[in-house]
Amino acid sequence: MQASGHIPQELVVSLKELVIRTLRLEDIAPEDIVDGAPLFGEGLGLDSIDALELVVAIEREYDVEIPDAEVGRRAFASVDALADFVLEKQAAKKTSHAVG
Amino acid sequence: MQWVETTTTVRFNEIDQWGIAWYGHYFAWFELGRMKVLERFALLPKDFAEQGLIAPVVRASCDYLKSALTNDTVIIRTHLAKPQTTSLTFQFEIMRQADRDLLARGETLQVLTRLDGVMIYKLKGELKERVESMLRFFWPQHSRLIDNVNARSAD
Repeated sequence: MQASGHIPQELVVSLKELVIRTLRLEDIAPEDIVDGAPLFGEGLGLDSIDALELVVAIEREYDVEIPDAEVGRRAFASVDALADFVLEKQAAKKTSHAVG
Repeated sequence: MQWVETTTTVRFNEIDQWGIAWYGHYFAWFELGRMKVLERFALLPKDFAEQGLIAPVVRASCDYLKSALTNDTVIIRTHLAKPQTTSLTFQFEIMRQADRDLLARGETLQVLTRLDGVMIYKLKGELKERVESMLRFFWPQHSRLIDNVNARSAD
């Protein structure tokens, strides 16, 4: 998935650090993770149990909910996609708060 | 630590030619223990299916410490580990009833998926209440464990 707009580089780096910290990827540095590469399968090689841990960490850090693997497929397509997803959900939350 | 216990007797069809329980049967005994717990909280496979969900085991392990022998009655002890994610990790101990010798220790990890196989990351509704009730049984000091887990504040 392509990012829909400008993604702050700090967010991308923070997400990479979150992935590394949460999944205890000791041999991997943030710069080793390619922004547009898949996180699961051929990319970082994460599995569905890793996804469960990431979901909890992302909700804790960014207050963004990923309810199931269908949504997760989009969110976890790459770090870029994850950043895009976080920004989109946070923006939607702000809008709904402003309206409500 | 809260454990639920049930027993079974090692049958002739469960032993090898040395009269020792075959290693694979320990997982069937784990299943007995897990069902005993899940039944109590209306979380049997049919209950998940009624909610449109499946709870497949995706990881299982067992450490074998001593042998169970034919006709031994074994105690299957089951405990639910404190969840860090939306998943169920059951821990097991197999003991010989006669001397309460610990024979094996094991663990299974279950995730939740919809009937079409899509994994669920958040529990909701009736099933969430039942799982919370089971969690409170094993972890009485955590009254809202699922919410705490999701906020990552439960230790």
